[in-house]
Amino acid sequence: MKSKFQSDIKELVSEQVISKDVATKIEAYYLSKQSDSPNRLLTVFGVLGSARVGMGIILILAHNWDNFTKTIKTFFAFLPLIIGQLIVGYVILKERSETWKESSGVFLFFAVGASMALISQIYNIPDDLSAYLLTWVLLCAPLIYLLKSNMLAVLHVLFATSYACSYGYFLGNQTPWLYLLLLAIVVPRYINILKKKKSQNISSVLNWLIPLSLIISFGAFVKNNEQFGYLIYIILFGLLFNIGKTSFFYHQKFRRNGYYVLGSLGTIFMLLLVSFKWLWENIFTKAISFNSQEFYFVLFLCVVSIILLSYSYSKKWFTRFDPFQIVFLIFTLVFFIGLASSIVPIIIINALLLFLGVFSVKEGISHLSFGTLNYGLLIISALILCRFFDTNMSFVIRGLLFVSVGLGFFFTNYIIIKRQKIGNKK
Amino acid sequence: MKTIYIFIIFIVVGLVQLFIPVNMILNQEAILKSGTVYKFKTRPVDPNDPFKGKYINLNYQIDTFETLDTLWQRYDEVYVYLTVDSLGFAKIKNISRDVILNSKNDYIKAKVYWYSKVDHKLSMSFPFNRYYMEESKAENAEKVVRDIQRKSTTSATYALVYIKNGQGVLNDVILEGMPINDYLEKHK
Repeated sequence: MKSKFQSDIKELVSEQVISKDVATKIEAYYLSKQSDSPNRLLTVFGVLGSARVGMGIILILAHNWDNFTKTIKTFFAFLPLIIGQLIVGYVILKERSETWKESSGVFLFFAVGASMALISQIYNIPDDLSAYLLTWVLLCAPLIYLLKSNMLAVLHVLFATSYACSYGYFLGNQTPWLYLLLLAIVVPRYINILKKKKSQNISSVLNWLIPLSLIISFGAFVKNNEQFGYLIYIILFGLLFNIGKTSFFYHQKFRRNGYYVLGSLGTIFMLLLVSFKWLWENIFTKAISFNSQEFYFVLFLCVVSIILLSYSYSKKWFTRFDPFQIVFLIFTLVFFIGLASSIVPIIIINALLLFLGVFSVKEGISHLSFGTLNYGLLIISALILCRFFDTNMSFVIRGLLFVSVGLGFFFTNYIIIKRQKIGNKK
Repeated sequence: MKTIYIFIIFIVVGLVQLFIPVNMILNQEAILKSGTVYKFKTRPVDPNDPFKGKYINLNYQIDTFETLDTLWQRYDEVYVYLTVDSLGFAKIKNISRDVILNSKNDYIKAKVYWYSKVDHKLSMSFPFNRYYMEESKAENAEKVVRDIQRKSTTSATYALVYIKNGQGVLNDVILEGMPINDYLEKHK
């Protein structure tokens, strides 16, 4: 069956738009590009298959087969593990394809988990979920590098995040420091994937997964001085945004740049949150300790973010100045002003949000980008909506404000459509 | 890197992957072999573990201890020294923040659950509060135990726990003198 692309080429040749020679070259180029796609599909199916078989084994073993003796149960605990190891050993020795590496790696990953789970079951070991997840992830971490596996890197990040949540959020007053180590383990592989497979889906998946993992886990590092928690998150979102702004990520498709999207949305969300009066009057007025892990964590994040920002500027990695990039710095200053006065920070943050909204609208209009324009309008609308809760504005003013934002929405989008039409005509 | 080196590293990784579960087994077997067995009066309830299946959660009657030390924090480690009462059930002799040297009593390392300043009682959770069962049985176990405790006050439900060097291995749960699995099989 011929593809539409091939019939198009035929049409172009028959209409004498391109020569036969050029047509053959174009066809050859696209065929060479497609040649590795069946393999990639096979890898995806292989990985999904192994993951399901692995999880299936865990579930079957979780039934707790009463009729088996302890020895038989122990044998079954080791069986999937040894099968997995033999397959992986064979794959390494025979240097089998990526499909084999990915599938066998994923199977062994789940086999390790299943084996430890079954031993715990046989001996009624009540070890907590976090210790179990940590041992599991650490035991499988070397496989990421030995098999040069992408899927194991994804599983590593997912399970490291579950460990951070289970240890930091559900186990009382504990800080999941080892999560940082787990994440550091996967970084060299991630950099390698970014270098070699920049435009493949695995990079996009990790470009979203890693910032999401950081966002989910960083709350677990805040134990006593909750005020610093707000600062940690604003700096984290600033850091993510600045990573997303570096030319490496910024020139990729929007959907591949999780750092940029999450950094920007997170910054706005946090600013909206800290724009409320009650927060500055109740939370930020509480006693705060600078000799605490939260403060050192803030300090560390701030230093990393500033180094990234200045290094990127010196290397001219940023194409254009964007105020979103320095929001974390402004907020850090405002945060420390807020420890003395609650009025000044509220004014600065509201003005900052308004400025970011207007800036996005302006950028959207000048670059004819509907996305940026409407994002700016969304920021302004959200800011107005938030102020309904803690100010005594009359309903008439509230209504007028929304009418004007609505009109602005129609008007600005209309301008862009008009400009685009003019541009197309030219 | 050469394939053979990768393979050798993998063999090491594989051995570590095998060592961890083997070590888990050896630890538990050592306690079962040379530990002292205690009977803990208990009341099972039935929850779930996403990876390990159904288990019954055991609440122990002796998981609180009266103390005037008010500085206990949640999740602190507590060394619980044991003795037996006149009926042969485990009883707490005393508790401590550290191992008591030269003590002849067995001890278990437990975690502080919370301290009540009203009645000066320290609640603890023992490290052997899960008994894994076949999923169909675990659901029924809680109900059966509740029925037993309602109709009889003398026949105790207890857990058999082997204890050695602060660690405990839960070997069985006994209902009316019978292992819980056999009991549930008989009273289907």
